[in-house]
Amino acid sequence: MSKDCDCGDAQDQIYQYLDAELDEHTSSAVRGHLEDCDGCFDSFDFHRRLKIIIRTCLTEDMPETLEQKVRELIRHEIA
Amino acid sequence: MADQANFERDALQYSRQLYSAALRMARNPSDAEDLVQETFLKAYRAYDTFQEGTNLKAWLYRILTNTFINKYRKDSRRPAEVDLGDVEDLYLYRRLGSEDTAEASRTTEDRVLDGLVESDIKAAVEELPENFRLPVLLADLEGFSYKEIAEILDIPIGTVMSRLHRGRKAMQKRLWEFASQRGLVPEDAERP
Repeated sequence: MSKDCDCGDAQDQIYQYLDAELDEHTSSAVRGHLEDCDGCFDSFDFHRRLKIIIRTCLTEDMPETLEQKVRELIRHEIA
Repeated sequence: MADQANFERDALQYSRQLYSAALRMARNPSDAEDLVQETFLKAYRAYDTFQEGTNLKAWLYRILTNTFINKYRKDSRRPAEVDLGDVEDLYLYRRLGSEDTAEASRTTEDRVLDGLVESDIKAAVEELPENFRLPVLLADLEGFSYKEIAEILDIPIGTVMSRLHRGRKAMQKRLWEFASQRGLVPEDAERP
């Protein structure tokens, strides 16, 4: 296992890693740890999947008329 | 400076995303539509102040969140700062991972991720107090960076990080409750 990153570090940084907010050095240390440690990889994978599910569930279809309403508002403003 | 003549071409591509965020802010379709219309109208009027080549999507979200905050917080000048109770880090995962073998834990994790329904996720987000809900939406729905979220909400980056951290934990706790109600977790794991 990488000396730069133990299980505690990896768990603490899972979300920052998923959010791509770690600097290159820390990010590669976490990546190295995840490759070596099944337990931490499982946690990472769970949070990665949860993040995708949240994004998918929150993405809505827009009412068809809304974009037209916005275009009309803007044209009214121009006129 | 941006040209108003290009506004429809440049800005309207973000309307579906803005509507998705507006719906979780306002929590009903009619207010969300109003919010989106008002956002685009304000953006159009101010478009000549937008610096072309900078982040148009973040600029639109800044207008959206300010419009939301001003519209729904008329009764008070101060933001409604609500706190969340203390919740363990990575709450949902830790509760699910408490089974005898790693394999059993993984089976439960899969069952929960497959079994939670859209309304559970939406409710877990909508129940977050506003000061936590906005950073969570901007990060998890829109994929904005912490720095962009700090600029959109006009709060320090450290505050973004702590609100995101705590908002996500609170969401995980709520998702655990939904998973438990739906019988997705083994009964012996339900004891706190």
